[in-house]
Amino acid sequence: MEKATVVVIGGGATGVGILRDLSMRGVDTLLVEKCDLVNGASSRYHGLLHSGGRYAVKDQEAARECIIENQILRRIGKSCVETTGGMFVRLDIDDPAYEEAWVKGCAESGIEATPITREEAFRLEPLLSKNVESAYLVPDAAIDGFRMSWQNVESAKRYGGRSLTYREVIGIEQESGQLKGVKVRNTITGEEEFIECEIAINAAGGWAGKVAALAGLEVGVQPDKGTLLAFNQRLTNHVVNRLHKSSDGDIFVPHGSITILGTSSMSIPDPEDTSTSREEVENLLAIGEKTFEHLRDYRMLRAFAGSRPLYIPPGGVKGRGASRGFAIVDHEDDGLKGMFTIVGGKFTTYRLMAEKMADKVCAKLGNTAPCRTAEEPLVPEVSEDAKKAARKYFPAYGTDLAATRLGPERFAKVVKRLAESPEKRELVCECENVTLAEFEEIAQEDSCYQINDIRRRTRVGMGTCQGNFCALRSAGLFAQYGRQKRAAETLTRMKEFLQGRWKGIRPVLVGRTLRETEMTRALYELSFHVNGGKTE
Amino acid sequence: MRDISKKIEEMETARSTADHCLSCTSCMSSCPVMEAEKSYRGPKLVGPAHSRMHFSQEDFEESLDFCSNCKSCDRACPSGVAVSTLNMLQRAKYYETHEHSRRDDMLAHGERMAKLVRALPFGAAFANLGMSIGKALGVFGAMGMAGERNMPAYASDSFMQLFKGIKQPQSQKKVVFFPGCFINQNEPQVGVAFVKVMNANGYEVLVDEKFNCCGSPMVVTGYLAEAHEHAENNVSRILEWKRQGIPVIACCTSCSLMLKQEYHELFNEEKMHEAGENVYDAFEFLEILAEKDELNTSFQQVGEKLMYHVPCHLKSQGFGVPAAKILAQVPGVTVEQADAGCCGMSGNYGFKGDKYAISMKIGEKLFARIEDAKCDEVICDCGTCRLQIQHGTQARTCHPVEILAKAYGK
Repeated sequence: MEKATVVVIGGGATGVGILRDLSMRGVDTLLVEKCDLVNGASSRYHGLLHSGGRYAVKDQEAARECIIENQILRRIGKSCVETTGGMFVRLDIDDPAYEEAWVKGCAESGIEATPITREEAFRLEPLLSKNVESAYLVPDAAIDGFRMSWQNVESAKRYGGRSLTYREVIGIEQESGQLKGVKVRNTITGEEEFIECEIAINAAGGWAGKVAALAGLEVGVQPDKGTLLAFNQRLTNHVVNRLHKSSDGDIFVPHGSITILGTSSMSIPDPEDTSTSREEVENLLAIGEKTFEHLRDYRMLRAFAGSRPLYIPPGGVKGRGASRGFAIVDHEDDGLKGMFTIVGGKFTTYRLMAEKMADKVCAKLGNTAPCRTAEEPLVPEVSEDAKKAARKYFPAYGTDLAATRLGPERFAKVVKRLAESPEKRELVCECENVTLAEFEEIAQEDSCYQINDIRRRTRVGMGTCQGNFCALRSAGLFAQYGRQKRAAETLTRMKEFLQGRWKGIRPVLVGRTLRETEMTRALYELSFHVNGGKTE
Repeated sequence: MRDISKKIEEMETARSTADHCLSCTSCMSSCPVMEAEKSYRGPKLVGPAHSRMHFSQEDFEESLDFCSNCKSCDRACPSGVAVSTLNMLQRAKYYETHEHSRRDDMLAHGERMAKLVRALPFGAAFANLGMSIGKALGVFGAMGMAGERNMPAYASDSFMQLFKGIKQPQSQKKVVFFPGCFINQNEPQVGVAFVKVMNANGYEVLVDEKFNCCGSPMVVTGYLAEAHEHAENNVSRILEWKRQGIPVIACCTSCSLMLKQEYHELFNEEKMHEAGENVYDAFEFLEILAEKDELNTSFQQVGEKLMYHVPCHLKSQGFGVPAAKILAQVPGVTVEQADAGCCGMSGNYGFKGDKYAISMKIGEKLFARIEDAKCDEVICDCGTCRLQIQHGTQARTCHPVEILAKAYGK
């Protein structure tokens, strides 16, 4: 039977942040997550590390929090933050009065917003619409939600923190008003187990209401779906925001090899609903092409959606009007000692939320260790010398990316493999430059139950061809290197992977994406006949 | 709902076509260099795939050096990606921060060398002698050239010199001939034949002393800025002729491809696209005449069994193989297409010492085909393909326009 002082429920940004914070303060903490890490809103979003500019008019407290956390994350998260910088552009159709308020708001919130000329804006962002009237540079950045979460978990591990993925909480046990532990089910094997703990933190995001209900408690969470588009190319150099009252589809984030455009805002009943429609895609394009006129010339890779878990206090507003702030609820006030819920907030301020939560927990535990998450880097970086020495084994343009994905220890192991077995320099994924050696390194981790788990950590299958060429290779390699028994079910794993790709492709099934998909179908259905023959 | 799909536009710049790549790998299975040299990572990877990753670090792909710019990848691409041009842009980027070798300097600047040679009395003869001695002494090999090959000899008189002596009937119908370096310096008889063919069709041929090298040898060796200067000059001349309603015609397919298409792909200037529309390959132009029923078809008996090697850069222009169609009408001529892929020479590629073996390996299929065919002569529109065929086989070669000139009894 597992036992921990604190169990964190939910492996999103908030959960992994709390796991790290408590572990660093010496609290024995275990995180449980019903899928893979950051399977909810924490990866289904822009990947934007806000400067706070977005909130400078409406919510200056949030804006101030953003800029402070932005600076902290740039420092501690060098391997997951891409310091692209951001640009706010006002178009001719946008209200100049808003610009004035925004400039004032930025100054008051401590956000450096540097005005630049239109010419400079076009030089920095050649694809921008010529309808731009004014432009400012702000310290926005891109952040990789997958990497950030794994790096928090890795950091926590160094202090004894633990995490279990594919464990769904199905019960919260209490005895005369005191929490006793949580009951979880392994979503892969169906096995159930009890984890004894003193404190449980409900950090389940959009699912927080459901988790609370397991303990007979009520938490108002409104899942608010945001749909985003991923483009095949890096269309911008900066994060580009429309300088107007926050609205749908007005932010572009260059994210590694792709660009993400989003997002919409729609209240939905179920956080599991990550569906997207052609209509949503069309709406995003119609708004996006105001900023980038030729947007429709560029190929869309996929559409995806996630649900912001908006905290709704009794009588509060829903949708974009709802607060992006967060709330911590100590359920001792509701009669259950040892149970907390943390909900709402923004990805950018996840560390701050975790700190506040950990402060409360530590106070309860009598732990007086200070929070150190803002000082210590998430993971050590691969040294420049190590990257330089490894360059000859990697594909061109592949060394630095692999180093940020892997971190020093795994990077060294991958380099060793590449040096010893030149055949492992072959690419499993040609679009995203993923070597066989890296795939092998990640595939053999215990936390990899399916190819998607490897994908989120290597980017295999996330590029131009969306799995066309790597799905088959990945299934074979996963069977060879995977630790989990189910890795051997190659056809099932391959189909599962391709279905995941297909889900995001379906709403953007036009133009070149349609051609790409026809090729996928020809390869897998016609040439490989994957839907025929014996079923597993 | 608005239509969010968009038709692929055929003529776009290379950079934007990278986004059209579906990663289908057709280019890799059609790449003659990959087939001969396994360490080349292939057009898809080093072109469009890598272009998505450039953001990540300052780096370069070593195996890009293997690309010969034969453009088989561009032709194979079902999505219209200018893969080889992406490669050439990458190569140029590399040389922004790296030194060129003396060999590449020499290969890129044949025009400059020729001007020096022509400025001397008996310059061509001395240069040719020098090249034979150089070859015997292994000087070229030491410079990184393919010591196995003869350097193409300078003709005693250049085309431009010979042209002055040609008496043409005057005509209202005019074309401007763009000879290109190889025809001008090494095989002026091709240009002379072209003038005769055009005269036989009622056209007067003009030349333009202000044209310079099309820039193809510079592009493939990474001297892109210089090639751009040449493009600016040539494009302004072509547009000047266009204003007068006079088309520009080339007999060298690498020149015509550069003028028609590659300038625009590389440099993305609308005027280059516009100029390209006024440039024709010789047989492309003759076929247009034939379609209008204006081609002079009073051919004399020639009596030759010909094998036709269609150069890659002609295939890339996408107008079929009009030379085969027109020559087949000449009494006594049979034209059989070699259909044996790239010859391996690719302009100056096969002259590079470290590419010689690859070049010859690629050419094997064509060489075998020619040896088996027992033809009288091999025709080919590309000068360096002809050099490769002469080097790899015992066959005689000529430009198809030379056969046509014979058919007109000139």
